[in-house]
Amino acid sequence: MSASISPPLLSCRNVTKQFGSLVAIDDLSFDLPAGEILGIGGPNGAGKTTLFEVISGHNTATSGQILLEGRDVTRCSPVQMCHAGMARVFQLNTGFDSLSVRDNVRVAAYYGRRNRVVPGISMEPAVEEAVDAALRDVGLAGSDDCLTATLPVLDRKLLMLASALVMKPRLLLLDEPVGGLTHKEIDHVAEIVRRVAATGVTVLLIEHVMRFLVQLSTRVLILHHGRKLYEGPAAGLANDRDVVDVYLGKGAGEYVAALTAGDAQHVG
Amino acid sequence: MTARQRDITLCLLFSGLAALLPLVSDVRYTVTQTTFFFIWATVVVQWNLVFGIGGIFSLAQMALFAIGAYTTAMLGYYFGTSMILAMPIGALLAVLFSVALGLACLKLRGPYVALLTLCVAQVLYLTIVNDTDCFTNPPSGCMPLMGGVRGFSRFGDLGFRELLGSGFYVGRYYVGLAILTVAMIVSIIVIRSPMGLAFQALRDNPVYAAARGMDRFKYQLWIFGLSAFFTGLAGSFYAVNTGAVGPVVFSFSHLLFLLSMIIVGGVGTIWGPIVGALLLMFAEEAMRELGDMRDIGMGLILVVCVVLMPRGIVGLFEDLVRWRTARTAQAVPLPRRETV
Ligand SMILES: Nc1ncnc2c1ncn2[C@@H]1O[C@H](COP(=O)(O)OP(=O)(O)OP(=O)(O)O)[C@@H](O)[C@H]1O
Ligand SMILES: [Mg+2]
Repeated sequence: MSASISPPLLSCRNVTKQFGSLVAIDDLSFDLPAGEILGIGGPNGAGKTTLFEVISGHNTATSGQILLEGRDVTRCSPVQMCHAGMARVFQLNTGFDSLSVRDNVRVAAYYGRRNRVVPGISMEPAVEEAVDAALRDVGLAGSDDCLTATLPVLDRKLLMLASALVMKPRLLLLDEPVGGLTHKEIDHVAEIVRRVAATGVTVLLIEHVMRFLVQLSTRVLILHHGRKLYEGPAAGLANDRDVVDVYLGKGAGEYVAALTAGDAQHVG
Repeated sequence: MTARQRDITLCLLFSGLAALLPLVSDVRYTVTQTTFFFIWATVVVQWNLVFGIGGIFSLAQMALFAIGAYTTAMLGYYFGTSMILAMPIGALLAVLFSVALGLACLKLRGPYVALLTLCVAQVLYLTIVNDTDCFTNPPSGCMPLMGGVRGFSRFGDLGFRELLGSGFYVGRYYVGLAILTVAMIVSIIVIRSPMGLAFQALRDNPVYAAARGMDRFKYQLWIFGLSAFFTGLAGSFYAVNTGAVGPVVFSFSHLLFLLSMIIVGGVGTIWGPIVGALLLMFAEEAMRELGDMRDIGMGLILVVCVVLMPRGIVGLFEDLVRWRTARTAQAVPLPRRETV
């Protein structure tokens, strides 16, 4: 029976990434079926961002395979991955600093969805509409003309989200989308991600903020030294000895236990 | 009206005004100097596309200019080609050369691009001046293939002498004005089009740009090719206008003079290069009598501009406008972020 099931949207098979003698990702395999939100956690330097680099084509795996809907994309360039339907949001505050907020989203909308063999003289109205919609979706409507370099942290994160969403990706990679934000701001971003996922977009997200990770993820993957420490439902995190010892620590372990017990209000 | 339509309208308006100059001034010197302004302004407007918009520190522009000038002169000198035909050929050759140079610079960053492009220009220069073998032997004396130190003269004309008699320089004035106008409009369209946005995105953050579907390879070739056409054409027109082409077009101090125009006017802005060209040519003109002091004066202007206006005159103006709109926006608070 299972042979007729379509392949998972994303599949990593025995992926290894070495930087000289440092093994940043060590023989890692996992599947991401369409429609899921897979949360990735793990201590600093565990190899989470490196995993994104390898998937998004910014870095090539030393060995192993990455499949997108069964197609081998291990050696694809970032541009090809982007046109294949993947949008990555970077860990650091990235943006085109000298462009306005709107132009940031416009370039992504224009170039991100398909390869432009010869770029046109002006943008189609459909592109501008998509830009409007993306800015509205993240709550940046009205900031169109602001210079990106001068944006406050939250707006920068929202802008990064908007320029990823405007590409209409099937797979969204989020690297610490709420790092450095306040509680209220985190909820704002979580709400956006939830809504995006509800439209059928598959999400792979890295986050240290457990509240965000636990509440959004349908499944969690914890990495340590480039290896899989835990894979399963968020509810199992607090009961896993390794995860508590290596990553969460005792206090955070209890906090996560409370979160997964649906008691978030009290500890939030 | 979109920003692009506004800028093009402004450009046509200024051109219209400039077209009146020969009608109101019969000082030949003013008209011919303004023709030179058109030539240098064309070069810096296109250089700004590479350097300001694309953020690629290429110093090849004068070499491209020279290719346009030399091609035109050589075609006229050796084959008697009409200048109307030789000029666009010179421009196209500059495009080919520039695309090849863009390929060579693809893996290089920042100052290394400057070094490589400068080296290429130097190699061209040295090849020309060190060639002492006579290719032909006209009565005027030995002529190396590319003119050697002497260069070319009497290779052709646009025919304005027959047409306009002693007012021939006015004909050239309008050709120069036409070239600058078209070069400027092309620059406005490029900067305010998706392609210009891609150039700027790649300049700001190439890694992020790749993740948003912009291929550095492709756009670097585009930008090198595009900007070379009018640079080459300006060179071709320079050859016809001065009636002589020699290795002096490779002069490094002239290259710096042009670079200063972009910096003073505003790197990466639409109007900066032209404003800078106008200002520095006026300044140079005003200090003509000062001899050596002139270089010091020009240096002083550059230093003052860089220190007081790091984004140039136009950049400063843009910042002021932005600052004012930001203040008015604050005075009337708008409902900014909708709740989701
Ligand atoms: N380009 C590189 N060259 C050499 N080593 C690298 C490179 N990129 C990452 N590393 C190393 O690989 C390891 C994994 O880094 P990575 O950035 O993937 O961690 P991370 O899990 O994202 O950590 P954080 O939570 O701090 O973001 C680290 O030891 C890092 O120093
Ligand atoms: Mg990281």
